[in-house]
Amino acid sequence: MHVHELNPKKTVITMVIFVVVIIAGLLTLTNPRLKYALTPEQTVLLTVSDDGGITPEKLELMLTGSTEKVEIIDIRNHYEFARGHIPGARNISAVELLEKDNIEWLKDLQEKGFTVVIYGKNQMQANGPWMVFRQIGFSNVHVLLGGYQYYLAYKNHETQNYSPCKADFNYAEVAKVSVTSGEDNNQPAKKTTIVRRKKKGGAVAGGC
Amino acid sequence: MNKNYLFLAILMILLAAGLLLVPERQNYQQIKPEKLMWDITQTSRFVTVDQVAQMIIEGDPTLELIDIRPAKDFEAFSLTNAINIPLDSLMKPDYQDYLGIEDMNVVFYGNSDIKADQAWVISKRMGYNSIYVMQGGLNCWIRKIIQPVEPEESASQEEFDLYQFRKGACAFFTGTKVEAPDAGKTGIKVVKRKKGTAVAGGC
Repeated sequence: MHVHELNPKKTVITMVIFVVVIIAGLLTLTNPRLKYALTPEQTVLLTVSDDGGITPEKLELMLTGSTEKVEIIDIRNHYEFARGHIPGARNISAVELLEKDNIEWLKDLQEKGFTVVIYGKNQMQANGPWMVFRQIGFSNVHVLLGGYQYYLAYKNHETQNYSPCKADFNYAEVAKVSVTSGEDNNQPAKKTTIVRRKKKGGAVAGGC
Repeated sequence: MNKNYLFLAILMILLAAGLLLVPERQNYQQIKPEKLMWDITQTSRFVTVDQVAQMIIEGDPTLELIDIRPAKDFEAFSLTNAINIPLDSLMKPDYQDYLGIEDMNVVFYGNSDIKADQAWVISKRMGYNSIYVMQGGLNCWIRKIIQPVEPEESASQEEFDLYQFRKGACAFFTGTKVEAPDAGKTGIKVVKRKKGTAVAGGC
């Protein structure tokens, strides 16, 4: 003979607990701290559009102009920050970016219409964090193209245009050069130079 | 007593039906933003062009190179056995099948590494593992593998070893005979840097 049959109330109690657990589960499930505001497809569109990058020139203009409200976040570590940074930047290292206080602060900035620019030592370092911010809905967050390296080079007037995503070579042509290297001396268009030594201030170029 | 069981059964069925009505969770298989940010701060996702070259030469069966440049660029030049998934098609179902293959190490590359890194971030968010980014992209590939520069005389032995490896790799990829070490300089040929006219669009 089953216990339940002796005490029908037990069955009811078990059921009630069961239902409460499921409902509690459903309620907590739908409320994570941070949610994606962009679908993966929208994120793909964002990356293809080249939207959201800011050049040092533009940043300078925004800083000197009085109309735009700008906050700058330096995501390098405290040591690198201490050695030099863009004036007015706030140092929040990459691992701390999503901490509660910082998210609150960013939400506040977004409501007040601030533009937020984040940068790392190069563009790669800030690339991922920038994408995360965009994906969780901070559409006012921009990434500094070229990062701090390029900003410094720009300040020292050592740069040309920053175009990290361009092909620096005609790959198909370069990759077959060696095959014909014996007999292509008569091609006037090609200059025989050694790449490395020619470059100046090349720290930024190429992203190698 | 039968009533109780009947009631229980009906309740279970109702709850099951209720679960069907729960709105589909968008984040079902995606990782949380916090986890994504954490993974981004790790640099273990990068592989060097030397590592990629070595894997290609050794015929590593677990290597899956994914070229994220537009199809036009891919046809003009690509790495050995690479698969072309243009960045704008990354989320298309046909291409998604290439990402989740068990035991395969996916390496994204583009002209540089920025767009490849963006592809990595999106794939990571989708929950894929064993994915990597080739550091420096094809620009770096050409500079280091196809046009290796001889280290200065004061350089360490390691650098010379690396240089020898790159010379060998260059020969492997371009089909030239390995030159004698002293003939090094004649091998370094450079095509004039393209200005503006280079392949348009993303990398």
